[in-house]
Amino acid sequence: MKVDPITFAVIKSGLDSIADDMAYTVVRIARSEIVKDVMDFSAAICAGDGQMVAQAKTIAQHLGAIPEAMASVLSKYEGDLHDGDVVIMNDPYHGGMHLPDIFMFVPIFHSGKRRAFAVVICHHTDVGGRVPGSNASDSTEIYQEGLRIPPLKLYDRGVLNTTLEALIKINVRVPDRVWGDLSAQFAAAQVGKRGLEKLMQRYGADDVDAYMQELLDYAERLTRQEIKTWPKGTYSFIDYIDDDGFSDTSIPIKVAITVNGDGTLLVDYTGSSPQVKGALNSTLSFTHSLTYLSVRCVLAKDVPNNVGLFRCITVKAPEASVLNPVMPGPCAARALTGYRVFDTMLGALAQIVPDKVPAAGEGGNSVICISGLRPNRQPFIIVDMICGAWGGRPDKDGLEAVTNASQNLSNMPVEVMEAEHPVRIEDYSFVPDSCGAGQYRGGVGIRRSYRILAPEALLQLRTDRVKFHPYGLNGGEPGGLSKNYIEIGNERSAIPGKITRNVTEGALLIHEQAGAGGFGNPLLRDPSDVREDFLDGKITAEFARKHYAVTFGPRGVLDAKGTAALRSARNAPPSPEGRHGA
Amino acid sequence: MAVASGGKIRVAVDIGGTFTDIALFLESGVIHQSKVSSTPEDPSRAVVDGVGSLLAELSIEPSAVAEVLHGTTVGSNTILQRSGAKTGLITTRGFRDVLEIGRIRMPDMFDLTWVKPQPLVPRRYRMEVTERMAADGTTVEPLSEASVIAAGVALVAEDIEAVAIAFINSYRNPAHELQAEAILRANFPQLLVTTSCAVLPEMKEYERTSTTVVNAYLLSAMRTYLQKLESGLRSIGVAAPILVMTSNGGMLAANVTCEKPVLVVASGPAGGVIGAARLSIARDDRDVIVFDMGGTTAKAVIIEDGRPTMTSEYEFRDGISTSSRFIKAGGYMLKVPAIDIAEVGAGGGSIAGIDKGGLLFVGPQSAGAVPGPACYGLGNTKPTVTDANVVLGFINATSLAGGNLNIDRKLSETAIRTLVGDPLDLTLLDAAHGIRAVANAAMARAVRAVTVERGRDPRDLTLMAFGGNGGVHAPDLARQLGIPRVVVPPMSGIFSALGMLASDIEHTALKTVSLYLDRMQVSDLKAIKSELQQQVAGQLDGDGYQAERTMFLWEADLRHEGQATELTVPFEGEDFDQIRERFIAEYFKTYGYRDATPIELMKVRVAGRGLRENRLDFAAMKIAARQGASRSGTRDVSFARGEAAVAVEIVDRGAVGMSPLQGPLIIEEFDATIIVPPDARVHKDAIGCIVLEFEV
Repeated sequence: MKVDPITFAVIKSGLDSIADDMAYTVVRIARSEIVKDVMDFSAAICAGDGQMVAQAKTIAQHLGAIPEAMASVLSKYEGDLHDGDVVIMNDPYHGGMHLPDIFMFVPIFHSGKRRAFAVVICHHTDVGGRVPGSNASDSTEIYQEGLRIPPLKLYDRGVLNTTLEALIKINVRVPDRVWGDLSAQFAAAQVGKRGLEKLMQRYGADDVDAYMQELLDYAERLTRQEIKTWPKGTYSFIDYIDDDGFSDTSIPIKVAITVNGDGTLLVDYTGSSPQVKGALNSTLSFTHSLTYLSVRCVLAKDVPNNVGLFRCITVKAPEASVLNPVMPGPCAARALTGYRVFDTMLGALAQIVPDKVPAAGEGGNSVICISGLRPNRQPFIIVDMICGAWGGRPDKDGLEAVTNASQNLSNMPVEVMEAEHPVRIEDYSFVPDSCGAGQYRGGVGIRRSYRILAPEALLQLRTDRVKFHPYGLNGGEPGGLSKNYIEIGNERSAIPGKITRNVTEGALLIHEQAGAGGFGNPLLRDPSDVREDFLDGKITAEFARKHYAVTFGPRGVLDAKGTAALRSARNAPPSPEGRHGA
Repeated sequence: MAVASGGKIRVAVDIGGTFTDIALFLESGVIHQSKVSSTPEDPSRAVVDGVGSLLAELSIEPSAVAEVLHGTTVGSNTILQRSGAKTGLITTRGFRDVLEIGRIRMPDMFDLTWVKPQPLVPRRYRMEVTERMAADGTTVEPLSEASVIAAGVALVAEDIEAVAIAFINSYRNPAHELQAEAILRANFPQLLVTTSCAVLPEMKEYERTSTTVVNAYLLSAMRTYLQKLESGLRSIGVAAPILVMTSNGGMLAANVTCEKPVLVVASGPAGGVIGAARLSIARDDRDVIVFDMGGTTAKAVIIEDGRPTMTSEYEFRDGISTSSRFIKAGGYMLKVPAIDIAEVGAGGGSIAGIDKGGLLFVGPQSAGAVPGPACYGLGNTKPTVTDANVVLGFINATSLAGGNLNIDRKLSETAIRTLVGDPLDLTLLDAAHGIRAVANAAMARAVRAVTVERGRDPRDLTLMAFGGNGGVHAPDLARQLGIPRVVVPPMSGIFSALGMLASDIEHTALKTVSLYLDRMQVSDLKAIKSELQQQVAGQLDGDGYQAERTMFLWEADLRHEGQATELTVPFEGEDFDQIRERFIAEYFKTYGYRDATPIELMKVRVAGRGLRENRLDFAAMKIAARQGASRSGTRDVSFARGEAAVAVEIVDRGAVGMSPLQGPLIIEEFDATIIVPPDARVHKDAIGCIVLEFEV
């Protein structure tokens, strides 16, 4: 078929907007805060052969995991997929990521042939297992983490599988929310199906098939073209996760990226930590996803994130490592490992395309899970995710209060949380001085404090960067560390970053997220920009003096003389190796 | 023509980026129009001068003007240019950063270069006070007067002009906000103060705080502007009250606008939509897609059963809103009722090119009015949509806007050939068709955002097009989406001003209910309705509309238990069965499945209208003739890719009658062109609309 550039453009935006329609449907009718407010869900369209071609503006981390998940669905059901079928799956050892993320696949047929799949992924509030939220970082086997669903038909030719429905509902703590969110996934897939059917009606199913394949080739073409301009060679980087909550042992994530002359990359994670006891293990599908999206982030804006791009990247992760675990390794908190893969990939990419990569961000959203019984014995589960800050960039400051770039999360409004759950938020604000200094500074971190109003509650924390600072780049300083405290009465005590414990009414949990790293020598930062940060209370006068050699007179006026003297006394730039200050 | 004073002459004014449009409506039903250059440095000047000269030209006593209706971009421009009041914010302790934290998301994935918009109130002007309400409205900690005074002192010391107050859970209990407001007013009379409970008494602290801050930010700009406009009009003898069009298409008295400017931020485009809604009723063809195409963007709105679809929140931002409406980022969140407008960055001035992957793109960059399309010869050499239209013969190849703009077709040809045709190995005509097709696809995306995304099939609707380029692209858009009919209203070049003449004065009020529908009693709903009606009737009474000239429209926002967003359905009386049935039908229409879980009534909303005695009736409207050369002759037009250009007859609007003519045909007006393709038939309806019909 000769590609018509106009039809191609129309079908490309048609697929994008169908995927957006699907995502919009989910957010409007889902039941759980984690989906409707925090927006931890994704939508995509795959071609009839299963290759992902388009996606909604949702969670980047999910989207690159679709190929493995699809492969496991096809290996089970190829030859037995029909109009009206709906397949669901969550098992990490069948191409899934962690148990709360339930994938839904809906095959779409036209003129007797399978032409596409609508795919919707939601993070469910609970899928059973030993702790509410099914997301603990301190499980040691996947069997503790909840209900495992291999690829199974939830609908068979339009008929609901009531056995599966009953099995799911009885195994989860909040069946109404889980079933409500599954209904939202179902509705979204129907919206996708309707949209694709119209597209095929308009342009002919065979042509749409052909253009989907062209869309993949187009992405591959753009990707290779750009990678060919990169300097050939091998570039390594290492970053760390604090620990898995069981021991103090730090968990290295190591990468070596080889840029090949044909516009492809080999990404080798040899040297990363072996599989860990706790639930930080990232399945291969998830490791792939993070690898792809890291590369995507430094490509030109117009490259579609589809399988065509993925074709240019080969990933090697040793078996039984934290990036490719084997059964029965627990995976619930694997997102944290994903964030560190992203940080590590960017650290290596910074050596390849230094003008495109920011210093390290906050290191991934923190997960605060608070659960228990209300006074009326009804269960409640809060799964709250705290975001985030971006590191300083080669030409501008980083950002504060922003999703990690490997996600696209939102936040749960304080008033929604307080109206629905027995908890009161007493603080949701920036943490001054938590930003990494630099010519372009990192964003400051965020603090959120929770007062427990239920008689008793179980608290689970999955936070990190308590020991290892987010790195700075190009002479920029590292970002501030994350901190956690419990206050009972007037007694405040520090607690570890990963913990599961009981608390009683009146306790206050205070979480401070890490700030982001800086980019470039802080002494090159314009003193008037330092003053703006000071006036806004994002840094203190002491911080300005110590890190920027800038001082102020009364009423925040810049002390030009004092600043000049301080700066000239310090004309040797600070150590460029500003990373991993642990 | 002399007109007796004391009559009921009404004037409508719409200020655009380039022109200020004026429509003057006589009691006899006759309409006069005028277009003058806008004066962005003081937008009121063009209005005062333009109205003055039109009145003089028609020998009308200024005192005969009974009402001045106004669509203004002052709100949107003040935000875009960041020229609002120096604003402070007072919050509950622990929450000064709610405004800056926002909703965390980024508008585009994978973009590490994104710049988050700076909050309208920088952190140094955000003060915390001691107070706390619980989620159920009980007091956790009383308001500390001393902390409010300390905040006021600090803000006044920084020369703050306007202050927004937004406390956590004030939607449940506004007492602390009201106390804080009173304390500030008593101690710092120079401050303009606005509270979140007055602006938006709804749950979700970020949305409420942001909306309140925008309101505070606009207070002084809107007051200054409206006072200038009023005194300017008084100085030429026009003493009539000024009414401002709201973002949701109602009319607000100028003094109310000065208190709640946040309600008129999207005032600009609303007039045309309201006009289209009235026109749809007059034509008795009430399900319409409104399509308004300008130089930089194209906008689409759905009208169902004669009413535009509304949204309860939107984001105002630089540049273009995307059609992925589930994204919250990159703009200033305004949770106020507004017409649900989808806007895409494809207009006449949008620039076309080839990306690195070899894909043809159009927009969102625009050549604007200056330097404008390549054919203007003012320095832009990149091809635009207008250049493609010139090359294909869709637009007059020698002059635009009635001869006011000279254009050079050769420049269009060179730009298209060099930057699109040659790189893609396409002929000049094919390349030009390509640009049009890609632009049409983008515009179709705006239409899809308000149709398909809502489960509405565009094929069941009529496309109503206005704006200078509307009639040039609407036919292709209609064909692409399978829409059988295109309607171009009379005076399509100044249609937004015309639309205001057709609107009502309107006040809205809402109450958060959050009850299960099945557990509500008729008496509950009666009480809610009576509270809301009293509130709105009081405002209407203040505007001079007593009970016999008012009308109340009721809407309920419902959802299934635990969902994030509601669907809105109109209702009458206290009939729960009616509300339930309408919601269930709407839900199925939108989402394609039925849900068995309980239904919650989240909000009840009322729109109270003051019925104007002399509202524009499209069916009875008479347009005053404009002088100008009548058009004749032919022009070569290439209608479709691969087809040779054919000579097409050019006619005036007046030459189209009630009996259908077969295309092709070009209808040219003073400031608009309508292209009738070969496969369409065209006629004029009883109201004077040009109607194109396609075989489908």
